[in-house]
Amino acid sequence: MEHARHVFRVLLVLVVAVAAFVLGRALLVPKSYGLYGAYRADNVGEQARVREPRHAGPESCAGCHAKQAQARAAGSHKAVSCEICHAPLSVHVQGGAVKAKMPVDRSYQLCARCHRKIAGRPEKFPQVVLDQHVPAALEEGVCLPCHDPHSPKP
Amino acid sequence: MSEETRPAEGETAPCDAGRRDFLEQGIRLAGGAVVFLTSARAAASSAPSENPLSGGYDWNEHRYAYVIDTEKCIGCGSCVRACRAENDVPAGFYRTWIERYVVGPEGSFVDSPSGGIDGFPPAQTGIAATKSFFVPKMCMHCKSTPCVQVCPVGASYRTRDGVVMVDDKSCIGCGYCVQACPYGSRFLNPTTHTAEKCTWCYHRITKGLRPACVEVCPTGTRMFGDMKKEDDPVRKIIERERVGILQPHLLTEPQCFYLHLDKEVR
Amino acid sequence: MPEITGFAFPNDIHVHWSLMIVMYPYITGFVAGSFIVTSLYHVFGRQEFKPIARLSLAASFCFLLIAALPLQLHLGHPERGFNVMITPNFSSAMAGFGLLYSTYLVIVALEVWFVWRQDIIESARRSRGWKRTFYAVLALGTYDTSREAQEVDHKVITVLAGIGLPMACMLHGYVGFIFGAIKANPWWSSPLMPVIFLLSAAVSGIALLTVVYQAVSKMRRVPAEARLVSAMARWLWFFLILTITLELLEIIMLGYEKSEPWHIISELLTTRLEFSFITVQMIIGGLIPMILLGIVVMMNAYLHERLRNALSVASALLLLLQVFSMRWNVVIGGQLLSKSLRGLRSPYTPELFDREGVLVALALFITPFVLLWVFDRILPIYKPGEAERSPAGEAQARTDAARA
Repeated sequence: MEHARHVFRVLLVLVVAVAAFVLGRALLVPKSYGLYGAYRADNVGEQARVREPRHAGPESCAGCHAKQAQARAAGSHKAVSCEICHAPLSVHVQGGAVKAKMPVDRSYQLCARCHRKIAGRPEKFPQVVLDQHVPAALEEGVCLPCHDPHSPKP
Repeated sequence: MSEETRPAEGETAPCDAGRRDFLEQGIRLAGGAVVFLTSARAAASSAPSENPLSGGYDWNEHRYAYVIDTEKCIGCGSCVRACRAENDVPAGFYRTWIERYVVGPEGSFVDSPSGGIDGFPPAQTGIAATKSFFVPKMCMHCKSTPCVQVCPVGASYRTRDGVVMVDDKSCIGCGYCVQACPYGSRFLNPTTHTAEKCTWCYHRITKGLRPACVEVCPTGTRMFGDMKKEDDPVRKIIERERVGILQPHLLTEPQCFYLHLDKEVR
Repeated sequence: MPEITGFAFPNDIHVHWSLMIVMYPYITGFVAGSFIVTSLYHVFGRQEFKPIARLSLAASFCFLLIAALPLQLHLGHPERGFNVMITPNFSSAMAGFGLLYSTYLVIVALEVWFVWRQDIIESARRSRGWKRTFYAVLALGTYDTSREAQEVDHKVITVLAGIGLPMACMLHGYVGFIFGAIKANPWWSSPLMPVIFLLSAAVSGIALLTVVYQAVSKMRRVPAEARLVSAMARWLWFFLILTITLELLEIIMLGYEKSEPWHIISELLTTRLEFSFITVQMIIGGLIPMILLGIVVMMNAYLHERLRNALSVASALLLLLQVFSMRWNVVIGGQLLSKSLRGLRSPYTPELFDREGVLVALALFITPFVLLWVFDRILPIYKPGEAERSPAGEAQARTDAARA
């Protein structure tokens, strides 16, 4: 085996390298990795805390805007969340206090997004052909004289 | 270890010296590594049934599922807008979107203008349509995920309560999961350069809220539920009614179930 | 913004796997293919490959050194690239990359060391100053040049090459698996994919070495060894036939079974990939080299040496193009079709100056040749004045000269 000395020298270098890699890896693996599966368990908590919820649902508006909430509850838009036509609550309220005005969109496109007659919508859903439904030219606010957005008839 | 400093023709040391040296050094190193590793591993271990979330939410008590009734969808796009607002989804990419199908005897036409975020224009199809409908789509949160299977670094995973998510601190942005998803629900975020997709608003559902898309849907098309709750309406639908899933032949076991799914939908 | 025909899922319209992901299998193909050539001598003892054994080993090593670069350039977070070795998720074929690459690198480095060991020792003895220290370190402080030691070396080389060959195949085959195992993409999903990738790697490696050997012989002003040239042409032809057969077989099967994706795949092939697949990959890159190589192989005895060399080089160059186009058609082609199976996007054109662009790809292709030159400066591939022909080759050369 004296003539294989160089082979053992090489093998030694290899063992050193592998040991260094194994040690290095052990130091670098994140602590929570592998607890529940092949992933970093800490991320579950991070995802749950990634941001504060922004949408709060129509019930959260009723506290300050009772008039509109009651009109809505009694009309045909009772299933339409306030946040669809306005914006998520977080735009308007933060930490219990008003931080900015809630956007109010008076354009006809907002109403048309749901109520314009197009292929795909269920037959029974209230939808209209815009040119035939509106007597005037299509412009901002053209739906409002006849329809209260919080309780449109019928 | 004896070291040769002067090169000479064919000089060698006594027969066993090389092998003995190697074995000594090797065993020392290997032993050290083993001791270090076992101590490191012991420090990090913990009971597998523990709950990684604080504040009273136990992920072992929930198993979420989603039902979509395509007969009710009006294609208003409110869900897409709400998702974008809730999750800062970058423009041009979609965590959820809506597809419109216009079907006639000669063929079918499908469109999804900007994912449906501004609703849909009148369809220019040239097809004599006999039926048309909308189909909302998002990550299916499959039980047998092809995306988690292919993530090389374990950044993609499925939680105990059934939600598939991406650890954006581990993700290396290789894009393999994006290629592997049969539903096209993943994308690479152009700012963070990591994979991203619908998380069923994990930051909301762990607080008892519903995902933003479900919260705003005006027609009750989207329903979110918990298979571990006794009288959950979504659970009842899945267990008792005729529900369909997308691309069943791939056996991904999606947890988004569709009512009134048409054969045209892939 | 890409143009879409038909309907594509909204997230589907981006080509995430770019030119870099085309270059990666192209380069690992050279690594595997060159290693196959060197193993033909070191493992299977085919003497006609002796003149190219060291050159192909060095080439495999030099391409291997930069093989990880296209991946790093592509990643969204290259600084986290090492995570593949720290927290690998072994259900993913891509996670195998870290282990396969590093193990194979070690094996090739070791084989290089053992093959060049005598030369390293000689260089250590003959040089002075820092060069001497450099070679002494490289020799790991052992200077055994006895016949017994050389026999030990020979055994070790055979073992290393024997382990290295399946490892080289796996290093490239797993790339085919990465594509073939994606059930979501019908253009990729096929059990044939790893085999096609591997066979086409062999084609690219032998083709590359054909060209490099002719170039090196010209540079050294020695004639290219005829037996080697015809042996390489034979193996090249053999692998080419297998590759083209399987590539065609896949399409034919899809077309015959006509299951769900056939409609969109046939549209992909006849519209978006018409030039790169049918014209370049199959006709210019497939049919023509098959004919040229067929001439070289079947009419070997009747060919003048210069014609044989010219035909081999011409076929090899066309095949380098063919293998590139095959990688392109698989990687890019698969992303042009949407998972809706109803739409295709407009063809992808890589940027010129981008991190994943054309200039970078060219640099990646050229760098291994630069490294090969550097390699030769440190560890000469051809020893000056050494008889490079095997005894049989010498006899053949004499017969050729007598006949000419």
